[in-house]
This record gives sequence, C-alpha cells and structure tokens, in this order.
Amino acid sequence: MIRPGIRRLFHLGSRRHDLVARDTADEIASHIEERAARLEAQGWEPTAAKAEARRRFGPLAEAERELTRAALRRERRLGLRDRLDAIAQDFRYAWRTTAAEPVFAALVVVVVALGVGANAATFGILDRLLLRGPDHVREPRELGRVYATMNVPGRGPFTGSSFGYVCYAALRDHAGAFSGVGAYTRPNETTLGSGERAEQVLQADATWDLFPTLGVRPALGRFFGREEDRPGAAARVVVLGDALWRRRFDADPGVLGRTLSLDGTTYTVIGVAPRGFTGAELRRVDAWLPMSVRGQRVADDWQTTIYAQWLRIVVRRQPGISAERAGIEATAAIRPVFAGTEELLATGDVSVRPIGFNGAGDEAMEAKVARWLDAVALVVLLVACANVANMLLARAVRRRREVAVRVALGITGARLVRLLLAQSVVLAGLGGAAALAVVPFASRLLRATLLPDVDWSGPAVDGRTLVVALALTLGAGVLTGLAPALIARRGDVLGALRSGVREGGGRSSRLRTALTVAQAAFSVVLLVAAGLFLESLRQARTVDLGIEPERILTVGASWPRAERDLLVAPAVSPRDRSRTFYATALERALELPWVESAAIAVGTPFNTSFAVQLSVPGWTELPDLAGGGPYIQAVSPRYFETVGLRRLAGRDFAAGDRGGSAPVAIVNQTMAATLWPGRQALGACLVIGDPATKPPCAPVVGIVEDAHRDSLEEPPAMQYYIPLGQEQGFGGSRLLVRPRPPAATMVEPLRRRMRGVDPSALWVSVDTLQESLDPEIRPWRLGATLIGVCGGLALLIAAVGLYSLVAHMVTSRAHELGVRVALGARRADVLALVLRRGLGLAALGVASGVAIALATGERMRDMLFHTSPRDPLVYLAVVGSLLVAATLACIVPARRALRVDPATALRDE
Amino acid sequence: MTAIPLMKGTLDLLVLKALSWTPMHGLEITSWLEQRSGGELSFDDSGVYQALYRMEERGLIEAEWGVSDNNRRARYYRATKKGRAHLDAETRQLVRYGELVTGILTATAKA
Repeated sequence: MIRPGIRRLFHLGSRRHDLVARDTADEIASHIEERAARLEAQGWEPTAAKAEARRRFGPLAEAERELTRAALRRERRLGLRDRLDAIAQDFRYAWRTTAAEPVFAALVVVVVALGVGANAATFGILDRLLLRGPDHVREPRELGRVYATMNVPGRGPFTGSSFGYVCYAALRDHAGAFSGVGAYTRPNETTLGSGERAEQVLQADATWDLFPTLGVRPALGRFFGREEDRPGAAARVVVLGDALWRRRFDADPGVLGRTLSLDGTTYTVIGVAPRGFTGAELRRVDAWLPMSVRGQRVADDWQTTIYAQWLRIVVRRQPGISAERAGIEATAAIRPVFAGTEELLATGDVSVRPIGFNGAGDEAMEAKVARWLDAVALVVLLVACANVANMLLARAVRRRREVAVRVALGITGARLVRLLLAQSVVLAGLGGAAALAVVPFASRLLRATLLPDVDWSGPAVDGRTLVVALALTLGAGVLTGLAPALIARRGDVLGALRSGVREGGGRSSRLRTALTVAQAAFSVVLLVAAGLFLESLRQARTVDLGIEPERILTVGASWPRAERDLLVAPAVSPRDRSRTFYATALERALELPWVESAAIAVGTPFNTSFAVQLSVPGWTELPDLAGGGPYIQAVSPRYFETVGLRRLAGRDFAAGDRGGSAPVAIVNQTMAATLWPGRQALGACLVIGDPATKPPCAPVVGIVEDAHRDSLEEPPAMQYYIPLGQEQGFGGSRLLVRPRPPAATMVEPLRRRMRGVDPSALWVSVDTLQESLDPEIRPWRLGATLIGVCGGLALLIAAVGLYSLVAHMVTSRAHELGVRVALGARRADVLALVLRRGLGLAALGVASGVAIALATGERMRDMLFHTSPRDPLVYLAVVGSLLVAATLACIVPARRALRVDPATALRDE
Repeated sequence: MTAIPLMKGTLDLLVLKALSWTPMHGLEITSWLEQRSGGELSFDDSGVYQALYRMEERGLIEAEWGVSDNNRRARYYRATKKGRAHLDAETRQLVRYGELVTGILTATAKA
C-alpha cells in the first residue's frame, strides 16, 4: 500500500482551495446523513432524525467555514512536510547510489574539489585586494587616496601620491568636502631595541587624525591625539601593531606605559592597534609614531617646505560628495600651496582615487594578477564541471535501464530530474567538503607567494570565502546534474527497456562529445596563458642587467641617531663612524675564503642613485637621455668585478685612488658614446661639482658596460663612477660582497661575521641584491607557476575526460569492433578507428582553444615581458603537449579494443 | 443530570484514544465517545472534526479516503507512531494531575 503522504504528494498539485472545501463539505454531509440513518434505524422519524443529526453537529454554516479553514491550513502544512520528506528521501537514495560506486564517486569528488578549491583560495585574495580592503576601516568606499597629476613638458603627464606636510595641512584646513584627512608614511624598517635583542620592525608615521579618518578603534589603550601630534611639542609615544605586541610582549595588557627604543630613541607605549590593522594600505605595521615626532628627520622646516614630499594622504569624503567633486575640492586646496614657486604643481590636478591603488594611481599589479587568477580558477571549475557532467552522463547511460524501469513504474519527470540532481549535488557537496580541507594550505601558499608584504593575520578561510565555496559547490552540483537529468527524462523508455545499454543514446553522446571538446579547448587557453607567463619569466631572467643581482649580497648598518636637541656632540662623527665600519667590514669580508670579491659603494643599483652637477668641456649643456642622469656612484677598487660589470677599456680604480688623491673617473658605454662619439673617451675631462667652486678636471681612466639602476626595463642612461672618498654632496655607503656559493645561502654566515665589526651598531643588515628585484619579477613567476598549475590540472582533467569517452566508445562498440575483426579487419585498422575518433575530438578542442587564445590573448599584452601574446613557440608547445596527452588517453582504450574477441562479440548477440 | 462540558484540550486526547484501537471515520469516533461516556460528556460533533484536522496537521494522525459500512465515501483516520507516543505521555500526565488535584480537594482537615 502506498503511504497516504506519498499519494497526497502527487495529487496535491491539483488540489486547490475549492477541492479542499468540497472534501470538507463531503465529510460533514456524509457524517450527518449517516448519523440520521442510524437514528432512523433506532426508530426516529426521517425528518426528525435529520434535524437531530444537524443539531448534534452544531451550528452548521459556522462549523463548515471553520473546518474548511482548518483543512486548508492542514493541507498546506502537510504538503510542505511531504515535499521535504521526499527531498530527504531523494538525498538518502543519492547517497546510497554514490556509496555504491566508490571509484566513480572518488573521481568526481577529486575533480570538484580541485575546481572549488582553486576558486575559494583565489577568492580570498581577490576579496582582500579588490572587494574588502584593509581591515578595521569603516566604510572604505568613502575613503580615497590623494594623487597629484602634473604635465611635465616633453614627458607627458606624471601622477604621484607623495606630498609634503604642507599639502596635508592645506587639505585638512579646507573645510567642506572631507569629513576627515590623515597622512602617513609607508612602513619602514626600523631597529627596535639594541644589542642581542635588537630586531628590525616595520614602523610608520601617522598624523593623529589618520585613525579617526579611517574609523579604527584601538584594541588596547588609545591612539595618539591632537596634543601628542602637535608640531614642535610632540610626545614620544608609540602605538604597537598587534603582531609585534604578541611576539615581543606576549600580548601582555600591562604593556601600556612601558617604554621601548626605536632607532635609539625612547618611546612610551600608549596603545595597541587591533589585529590586522594596517592603516590605509595592506602592508604590516609594527609601530605607529606621531608625525610631529618624526618630521624633524626629514627637514628642519618639514611643516612648511614644499620640497620634501614623503607622505601619503587619505581623505574621507562627506556623504554625497563624489570622487570627482572631491578631486576638484582637493585641487582648489592644494594649488595655492605651490602658487608662485612650482608652476608645474600649481597648475597640476589633484584627484581622489580608491585607496587600493598603487603609488602611480593605477590599480595595483597584484590586483590585476589576482583578477586573472580568479578568471583562471573559474575556467578550471568550468572544465571540472564539464568533466563531471560527462561522467554523470556516462553513468546515466549505464543506468538507462534502471531509469527506464522507474519511468515505466510511473515516476514523474520532475521527480526523476530531482533524483538525478540530488545525486550530483551529493557528489559536488563531497567535493566541496574535500576542497575546504585543502583550501587553507592552498591559500596560505598563494598569499605568501603573491603578496608576502600584506598582513594576512586573519584566518585562511573566513565566512565570506565559505559562502562563496558553498555557492560554487551548489552551482557545480546543479550545473553538472542538469544535463544528464534532462536527457534521462526525455529518454525513450521503451527503446531503453528493449535494447539495454549497448547503443549509447544519440543525444547524450553528442553532448558528451561537445563537453570533451570544450575541456580540451579550455585547457589549451590556460596552458597558453601559462606558457606566455613562463616565457615572460624567462625573458625577465635573461635580461642583461649589466650587474648580476643574483650573485651579490649587500651589507648595511644603522646606528642610534644623534638627537637634534642633544647639545653634546658625539665622540665620533657619524661620517667617520660609517667610514671605519665599512673599511673594517670590507677587510673582514675579504678574509673569508668563500668571498670572491667585495667592494664599497655609495649608490647601489636597485637601491639609491645620485646625480650631481656635471660639466664636460665641449658641451654647453649635456644631452638629455630618456633614462635620465648622468648618475654618479663612488666606488672602491674591484667594484666592477664584484657586481659583474665588464670593463671595456682603460683601468679600474686602484688603491691609490681615494679621497684627497688626484680625481679620476670611469664612465659607462652610453656616456662614452654620447659625449665623445667616434672619439677616444679615455683621457677626456669631467668637471664634477658646482662650477662656481672651480672643481678640477677628472680625467676618464676607464669605460665599463651599462648597468641597470632601478628596474628590469629602462632606457640607457649616462653613468659615471669616481673613487670612494672623492664624493662631495652625497653619501651613504653599502658593502657589496660577491660570494662563490649561491648568494642566498650565504646571508646568515655573512651576517654573523658582520655583527662583530662594530658593537655600537644598532643593526647590521645583509640582503641579496636579488630581493630588490623580486617584486618586479614576481607577477610573472606567479603567473607562470599558478596558471601553469591550473593549466596542468585542466589538462589532466581533460585527458581523463577524453579517456573515459573513448573507453566508453570502445565498450559500447565492442560488438561492432568484434564483427569487424571477424570480417578480417587488421589490427591497425581497428587501432586507427579508435585513435581517429579520440584524436579527432582532441584536434577539434585544440583548434577551438587556439582560436579563443588568439582572440583573447591581446588582453594579456601589458602583463607580459618581452613576449608577444602570439608567441609561436608557446602555441606550438601547448598544442604538442595536448596532442601527446590525447594520444596517451586514447592508447589504453584502443589497446583494449584490439583484445576484443570476435567470437565472444558474435556469441553475445 | 446534565452532561459535563469538556475540559479544554481533552477532546484531542479522547479522539486519539479512540483511534489507538483501530482506524475510524468521524461518526464512528463520535459514537465511540458517546458510548464510552454514557452520554455524560457534551460536545458538538463538529468539535471532533476540529480535533481531527488539528491533530492531522501536527502529524499525530493520518487520514485516507475510504468507503464506510453503508457504502458512503468517508475519511478514515488512524493514529501515527508519533500520535501514540503523544497519547501515552499526555495520558500519564493527565492521570497524575487528576490524582493530585483530587487528593488535595478531597483531603480532610488534620489537626
């Protein structure tokens, strides 16, 4: 007997209000009639019996109305419960069938997990970079960074985000458009403590109103206020970042009121910022100091000068003020600052842009990469979905008989679709759960490689990521289940019952073919993208920078700064102290057996470059090269062999070339060719320094090849070198060391050696020069590895899909193949038959993939380095690897086809 | 002697009790209750249906259309598992309550 509930389920659809009402009326009527009949049987008059039955029932009209209402409520409620019951039943059934095919289920789960996992991991990054912004910032959409754009004659517009305090003050006092204005410096490495416990921390300066402007509240204590940030009367107070507070102070709430030393100056702790607070940008900050305490370090007239620009400014727009309007207001506020002095700035435009933009006012490269990654992850998910749909289709075909039996037994189409959907949702759900187990690792890895500077103190998987993962999982479940379900629903019941599985349904096999082709196409697109990034990376790696950053270690040192209000002069002048340190450090380094060479330089590539006044006899004005310059460096002997620059002519500096000796100079190739074209540069004269002081002529004694100063790509510039000690008007040494072993492995040994050189130094840093270059190469390395991994995944998934399709074809056509063999087909013919089908599909996919890649590749152009988006080698490699994978995927089922025994195939009939 | 009006909520329980024996339609339940109470309980027949619909909505009973002994279309009701459990629990509570109240009301004053 069928449960009443189930029966109701199928009838309820048509049972509307009047039906329920009629049933209720029927029930009442039959009650009254039967009651009357019984009374009559007891000897009542027929009319009296009827009246009595009515009387006993109660007030009829009212009862009927109320009962109908109750019945309707009951039906609604029961209908809902039955539907829920049925859905639960579907899922129980789906679970049973899934568990019955564990290998199939495992395959699907892995594929879905990869797709969903890749998306969840990349979403976390995209969310932070593009959607959510920095933590603890109230209404980030109202906030904006201030940018200035000026039109440099001959160079075009230039946009920057560095301002002086005077600009901040002008904006702050310009009432109206802004509800808050704050200025800050980017976090700098600063030495905390001294001696053994000394460490480098990231410290930023902020005006007091930065915190209210961002809308952040301290986790402990307070932020500094207006009085503590008053220029000229600032308090030596510090607000700690959460990470430093936990690491250095064990999260002790008693830290308030304690003092600590930063760069040799003592500050009192007044507060701790909330966990993950990084100001308006995303880089970690360990210590916040009042701007007015630190301004003196920039310049004596730091409050009023227009020439020192070291701040970034954020504003909060008043409600209803657009970014355009805010820009106009800001322009009006800032232009007068420069009026009459700097015409370029006085006529420049000030704009207010999103706080996530980079220093040049564009969307950050990382954000672009993250956006790409998200798109790529989505493609992987689509490939995964196509694959799962394919597998489900194959299974649906395998189970045609079961489905047909169900249809024959009277299951409705809607119920069948629901049943099949439940199965794919169960599978996708398992995949989603598996993905969540992997996502924390994946996203940690991703964050560390994509954005190592960003403060990632939050959890690896937060609520938003979870919601996205859930939505993607459900979407994948429905998407993959829908096609097989709809096909099963339309399936020709009788045909399936009669014929069994041998003939795969025409519709479903066409769809499977299309899905397989789509997978191949998508993997081609991904692999092409990965290949282009890889080629960019290779190009970036092989750029001849002149110098060899991967071979060089730089050593720098810092000492406690002499306080400006300190009346007693220090025993040793800072200049002498530094000179002694580097001289000793150079000696000690050269004593090490693994050091190939070492030198001291003022002005280090990828670090600092200097330019001083220079005149050359024969030139009234030096030519202006696109790369700027001429740039000057002061270097000790053996500098060129240390950094790996080839000497083209003349000599190196010798021990005798130093401060006080006769001035000499070495120029680079470009300078020699520009200033003395076609002539001998050696012996030519450079007049270095202010001509008013009549500096002596420095003869050129050598020519070296060009070196990059700043980035991977830069136009040639004039560079010249003078002996260390002869520099005038610039300073700040570094020791450069060229070890024999790989530089990265020698950082610690060298640091240990260097620490003992001067006990009074606060901190001695040892870095590879390559580190300064890494942020430039990172986008390509990232793109190459991550998109490469995704592309590999997609390829693997597509190969599995192709394999299962061809295998299915072989199984379902075993009979036909057997007949062919029986009729005398050779093995090669059978093999060719199978391969033709599989490789034909693959070729179709590859062709469409190449077409898509060619059509969309142009969008990648500005992300590539010295690589055309149509690089033929990349395309060739991708097409080749795809065809190889496709052949491998076909060979296994093809060999199986060869083993088909004609006798068995014929007997089977 | 006049019939006693039903206490609120007890009709549900009595109907459920009736259905705990065997599936019945509305009139059968009503007749069973009249017989059992010897006609001393007063209620409208419509009240029985109110109770039936209410309990069906709560899943305590199920209903199904059938044909009565007199060849009429009738809705037959039957207690569900949940309904039986509910009846047991409520009965126990009501009996306890009755004993308690009776005990207090009929107690003779003690010195």
